[in-house]
Amino acid sequence: MKAFQEFTKGIIKENPVFVMALGLCPTLAVSTSVQNAIGMGAAATFVLVCSNILISLLKNVIPSKVRIPCFILVIASFVTIVDMTMEAYVPALHKSLGIFIPLIVVNCIILGRAEAFASKNGVFKSMLDGLGMGLGFMLAIMVIASIREILGTGALLNIHLLPASYKPMIVAILPPGAFITIGLLMGLLNIVQNKKKSKAN
Amino acid sequence: MKEFIRPTLVLLIICVIAGAVLSLIYKQTAPLIAENKLKAVEAARRHVLPDAEFFKPISDSSTVLFYEGYSADSALVGYVFSCEQYGYSSDVKTIFGLTPELMISAITVVSQSETPGLGANCTKPDFTAQFASKNPADIYVDKDGGDIQTLTGATITTRAVTNAIRETFQKLRDRL
Amino acid sequence: MDFSTLFIIIIGSIFINNFVISRFLGLCPYIGVSKKMDSALGMGMAVIFVMTMASTITWLIYTFFLNDATSIFGIDLTFLRTITFILSIAVLVQFVEMVIKKTAPELYKALGIYLPLITTNCAVLGVSLLNINENYNFIESIVNGAAAGVGFTLVLVLMAGIRERLEYSKVPKSMKGMPISFIVAGCMALAFLGFSGMKF
Repeated sequence: MKAFQEFTKGIIKENPVFVMALGLCPTLAVSTSVQNAIGMGAAATFVLVCSNILISLLKNVIPSKVRIPCFILVIASFVTIVDMTMEAYVPALHKSLGIFIPLIVVNCIILGRAEAFASKNGVFKSMLDGLGMGLGFMLAIMVIASIREILGTGALLNIHLLPASYKPMIVAILPPGAFITIGLLMGLLNIVQNKKKSKAN
Repeated sequence: MKEFIRPTLVLLIICVIAGAVLSLIYKQTAPLIAENKLKAVEAARRHVLPDAEFFKPISDSSTVLFYEGYSADSALVGYVFSCEQYGYSSDVKTIFGLTPELMISAITVVSQSETPGLGANCTKPDFTAQFASKNPADIYVDKDGGDIQTLTGATITTRAVTNAIRETFQKLRDRL
Repeated sequence: MDFSTLFIIIIGSIFINNFVISRFLGLCPYIGVSKKMDSALGMGMAVIFVMTMASTITWLIYTFFLNDATSIFGIDLTFLRTITFILSIAVLVQFVEMVIKKTAPELYKALGIYLPLITTNCAVLGVSLLNINENYNFIESIVNGAAAGVGFTLVLVLMAGIRERLEYSKVPKSMKGMPISFIVAGCMALAFLGFSGMKF
């Protein structure tokens, strides 16, 4: 049960995007469509899980002095693997995500979890932590992407949800829309948290 | 000195292993990637000239000017040109096909980074379909007196596509 | 020397395609360090320096070691660019940290954890990768790196100014801190949208 919590904490309680404010760059850049969101989330989760496992396996071998360069090496290798694999097998998605695929290497979530968790915990727990955080990250982008895609194009994953008379709010898929959406969502989350806190008191 | 040896060694070993693994994966994926790129270009050409089985490039010393499209029994089916012009916020690259009578068969926009929801709609069939059967020497945006309907809120992008086609055709028609 | 191309790169990276507001690169420090004007300015200067140096070093590494057309090895090693770029940036930031610690200890204290975090600043790796994607030559890459840094600093300083004022405004309790900063960033992004479509 306790191990399972390592997995679930990344999804809501310690959601990397909404609660810890990590990995903002890809979150906002890639949230123009739900398809991109899922693609990025999957790629980042793969890198996160693999690097967490490997770093946890090597945690007693890597000297503390050079741990950050070693973490970076491991993470960058997995990112390069994902980059090449996506370019070969899903070229359209690879083109949409563009430079944000190699930028997964500087996604603060991955380096952050390597430093804070994987280097101090066992392999199984690290894997769960990686899965949970990765899933939380992907869900966060998907929520933002759904809002932006519906408001900005009237469709979700190419299925038209709003009537044809709806004039798309183009600003939603442009950069300002990204900032305003995440600002409002964070504010909403705070309202919910505050209500919970006052109920507990 | 001793405390430098272990960290450096670990780093070096990780570097070497990483390099080896990546080279392996590179060897696997590189041919696929190259093939994908070729397929994409071929697909665009076939899209604008669906009856063509193979394409013959017509070059001029170093650059390919356009392609001649032939059917399976080597009859000329048409020509394929590529052109580009800077639109609102990016280069808009278009590929267009011509029938042997020099009318546009179809066009397709292969690369652009225009405004999403406005100029970016230039890739949609609703927009590109109107170019079919038009005379490429005589296409102008409706705001400039022609009959190409502008995209909502994207006159500049529309102009980039239209003018690029017309100008490229006028420049290369003597070579046909 | 094609000054008009360089001018277009400069205006492009500072205003039209601002790295933070338009390309979404460098957001973590943008939200994290923009609370006070002096730390924002200090961080901005450090980032301009790192981005310029990073553009230079990564361009050299790519051209002479990785790109098979121009490298001294002659084999295609472009797939190693992510690793080599990020490692050289990490080394560069370590070096800058040492220099700042010795020459400006107050700035070092003020920047705190954010100085080593410049390594994970997507803008630094981002500009290095963009220079390669756009096929810029050596001078163009350096200029782009510097301009991108200036654009980052500009938006950072603007945000710091606004946030200092926000301290005295009545912000609803649930919006205090990050939510309202994002809304402000959204308004800035709207304003900068006015630069798109600029042609010379």
